[in-house]
Amino acid sequence: MNNKLSREEVLHVAELAKVRIKEDELEKYQIDLGKIFNDIAKIDDVSGYDDAIIISPFHEDARLRDDEEVEEVLVSDILKNVPCHSGNYIEVPVVINE
Amino acid sequence: MSKYLDQSILVIHELLKSKKIKPIDLVLEAYERIEENKDLNLFITLNKEEALKEAKLLEDMEVDNLLFGIPIALKDNIVTKDLKTTCASLMLANFMPIYDASVVLKLKKRHMIVIGKTNMDEFAMGSSSRTSYFGAPHNPWNIEKVTGGSSGGSAGVVAARIVPFALGSDTGGSIRQPASYCGIVGMKPTYGRVSRYGLVAFASSLDQIGPMTRNVYENALLLNAIVGMDSKDLTSVSLEKEDFTRFIGEDICGMKIGVPKYFMSDIVSIEIKEKMENVFSLLKEAGCIVEYIDISYIEQAARLYQVIAMGEASSNLARFDGIRYGYSCKDPKDIDDLYYRSREEGFGEEVKRRIMVGSYLLSGENAKKYYDKAMSVRSDIRTSFLDAFKKYDLLVGPTTVSCACDIAEDMSDPLKGFMDDVLVIPVNMAGLPGLSLPIGFSKEDMPIGMHIMANDFDEATIYKLASFIEEKLALDLCPRGGNYHE
Amino acid sequence: MSNYIPTIGIEVHVELNTNTKIFSNSTNGYGMSANTLVNEIDLGYPGTLPLLNQEVLNIGIKACHVLHCKIRHEMHFDRKNYFYPDNPKNYQITQSRTPIGYDGYVEVDVDGVKKKIEIEEIHIEEDTCKSAHRKNVTLLDFNRAGVPLLEIVTKPCMTSGVEAMKYIEKLREVLLYASISDCKIEEGSMRCDCNVSIRKNKDDPFGTKVEVKNIGSISSVGVSVDREIERQAALYDKGESFKEQTRRFDSKLNDTVLMRVKETGNDYRYFPEPDIPYIHLTDSYIENVLSSISMLPDERREKYKQLGMSTVNIEKIISNKSLSDFLNSFLTSNIDMQIASNLLLGDISSYLNKTNKSICETKLTYDKFIDLVQKSSHRELTSKNIKEMLVDILESDKDIVTLMKEAGISNITDEKEVLRLILKVIENNGESVSSYLEGHDRAFKYLMGQVMKESGGKIDPLVASTILKRELDKK
Repeated sequence: MNNKLSREEVLHVAELAKVRIKEDELEKYQIDLGKIFNDIAKIDDVSGYDDAIIISPFHEDARLRDDEEVEEVLVSDILKNVPCHSGNYIEVPVVINE
Repeated sequence: MSKYLDQSILVIHELLKSKKIKPIDLVLEAYERIEENKDLNLFITLNKEEALKEAKLLEDMEVDNLLFGIPIALKDNIVTKDLKTTCASLMLANFMPIYDASVVLKLKKRHMIVIGKTNMDEFAMGSSSRTSYFGAPHNPWNIEKVTGGSSGGSAGVVAARIVPFALGSDTGGSIRQPASYCGIVGMKPTYGRVSRYGLVAFASSLDQIGPMTRNVYENALLLNAIVGMDSKDLTSVSLEKEDFTRFIGEDICGMKIGVPKYFMSDIVSIEIKEKMENVFSLLKEAGCIVEYIDISYIEQAARLYQVIAMGEASSNLARFDGIRYGYSCKDPKDIDDLYYRSREEGFGEEVKRRIMVGSYLLSGENAKKYYDKAMSVRSDIRTSFLDAFKKYDLLVGPTTVSCACDIAEDMSDPLKGFMDDVLVIPVNMAGLPGLSLPIGFSKEDMPIGMHIMANDFDEATIYKLASFIEEKLALDLCPRGGNYHE
Repeated sequence: MSNYIPTIGIEVHVELNTNTKIFSNSTNGYGMSANTLVNEIDLGYPGTLPLLNQEVLNIGIKACHVLHCKIRHEMHFDRKNYFYPDNPKNYQITQSRTPIGYDGYVEVDVDGVKKKIEIEEIHIEEDTCKSAHRKNVTLLDFNRAGVPLLEIVTKPCMTSGVEAMKYIEKLREVLLYASISDCKIEEGSMRCDCNVSIRKNKDDPFGTKVEVKNIGSISSVGVSVDREIERQAALYDKGESFKEQTRRFDSKLNDTVLMRVKETGNDYRYFPEPDIPYIHLTDSYIENVLSSISMLPDERREKYKQLGMSTVNIEKIISNKSLSDFLNSFLTSNIDMQIASNLLLGDISSYLNKTNKSICETKLTYDKFIDLVQKSSHRELTSKNIKEMLVDILESDKDIVTLMKEAGISNITDEKEVLRLILKVIENNGESVSSYLEGHDRAFKYLMGQVMKESGGKIDPLVASTILKRELDKK
């Protein structure tokens, strides 16, 4: 991997992460992300490890919840934090292509 | 001005119990100290009104435990109902949680009083707390220096003796590293010890809440209060109740202590290594066996950590989209505009960089190449640690490779932050407990920390060794000219 | 139009019949005021963690069993990452690496030929929230967010709309009978997405895949698939190609309509969900869960057939699970199942439909039903009697004998006595008898009327007419 990412690579990664990158920041991200990816790529050299994986270092079985007890919160409490709502509904700009 | 908060917790407890002082005296004193230390920028939000109200309420109640009525500060990524929780981000600058984190409920059960929410790296991403949207906190030992991070504010408030107790969170050293930089005791418990419900997730398989305190005994006390299985966190473990102070003061003769060679390699500054050698001699004198050992893949742990931590973070932070809570950009022209601009404007640079890296590492073929590999090697790292604990009671080494840097120091190198944490990251990868303990000062008079690591759920043994070293060294750990020390 | 070989694979999502959601303990409900069945977990609040509902796992196990899937004994969940306003965490917790079930099948009958529709896998996941689109805004209701779902994915193994429809019908039936879901396509608790492609020859690679969504009823499944096959064929015939895409079925147009062209490779960035530890299922746990599954439809069909029920009745009974469940408690009671099913499908069903009740809400007890069927098969009760007594039979606590007494019903069941009455009528109505023998049907009706009159309506008309005919034909 090159030390510097291409503009397209940065824009692709920004799209995955859903963040806008301004034109004047692109160059910096090309360099910074390039450095990080370049460093991480060094794990390619790690070998000899076991196939077993750790998803999380917790080693008991999942506890299962009973399908009974009900706990809900008030819609008024929810709406306090909602940037944009209409009645009880949370509102966003129209989503096409549904 | 009263100086109750300089007393040990046992003394304060006696004063409260005998009604010589009331909880409100402690609360008022804490806020006086906050005022005096305002220049350190350690808090993001204060809880004064509620704290005073709570203290008043406690006056009529029986002082039923050692933590009763004691002020505590919480890292601002631990959610508190009706008390702003910002994660030091514009994204949550006005966010009002609708529930309490499980640890907060536990503290309330002990009638501890939440004084405020401490400064930190934005979403706990950083190792100097300088990525905070609210500006960097300053190190009480030297206002020009960083506190470390990400739990920098929590380390600072304890070091500055504003409150005796604080909670931090540790994903890749975020409790232990600032504890080391600020000269306090910080414990990252075993993964699963403390409920993560209500801790704003950075990297779910690595995050753990832990106590940050002035000394070892008080650290164990606070850990007693916050551990336990929580039905709201499937990764919290159910174990028999134990008292983490139980081995404190016991003879350490015969203890077997391993030192991973990597921890004493060239990456560590000479003065820190000297302080460590000094401790090794102490331990040998006390009858401990101290031996150098190897841990597999330990030198790669920080890189593998980045894959897992940033991968998980990219997913955990996807929920901040300007729809249900948090920052939302003005007048979005369509749904994508809402996403892209809310996240661009609401997140700081470090956070954006990390979620971009994380997204990339999980995308397409990379998931297999990087993420699966990281999960595999992670398992080997853990196995290697567990093998070491078959032979040794504890592993030790320095907490950090150097002391706190200047706040003004350039932070443009995106890799530098991870270098600061190479010694603390491995135990997060393995899920093991680790504690940082002050063992001296650098030539610049900045604290140096020692790292003690143990087997799964063996925090009590860490405290045993830590308290021994603490007592032997008997360091003066009050910064700012020992203001509160006479 | 040239001949093409269609290939169809179907993904079905069903909402599960649980009390609470999959990862939170808020209510799993339908039709409530917006955002009232939610808590901080469903909204993906910072700091929240998923808590797995045991019932979801149990239902998943049952689904695997009834769809003949292998059940995975060690599994975890995964995160599927994508931004969408109906996706509160912007990742969906699902199972990608370790689906709970795999390698199963559903057997269908297409024009008398049995075929196994192969199931690739079944996985457990959470539902998204409901969006309503207005002119400039989309409104979000998170009541549905976190409702447990099973996704059932077939192999690309179907070749026609009929097959697809038969598969959905059979799947729905089995899921209903195992109490997995209420499978209401209209309410969205069962959703079918069909992947359709066509190709010229068996050895060709699969053609371009089109996903057909938004199929609103079972009958639309077949139609939408067939329409899509025709559409693709017409394009290929013209020498045109098309891109992989998602279309929806428009029942008014009776055709599929383009929703979106698939962008190259959705990058869902799957990785294992670290907040939910592994789940290990032991054989005894599975066995215990499966013990609560009631008899499945095909087994019921077999039993009913053995007990002499007609094919028509069998299918009618099977299509109404509560009637079938009711009937199943009489499998060993030695009653005439054809009569029993007739009773259930006739007057009883119309009463239930009219009053909007289910059979278990009536007072038709086990003993009462046995009495009813037996009296009916011994002709002690006529269908007319039953019609008259129906409300009392279903709504009162009194037994059949008491009800018959109260209604004054004491039918003549002794054949000798019936014969005596009939012969008397024949003797007294010579004219009509001659008329009948000359071929006038009306005369028979008249004679029947006389028989019923003579008996005071206490003879089963069916019995009477048989004997009357027999005796007349002797003349």
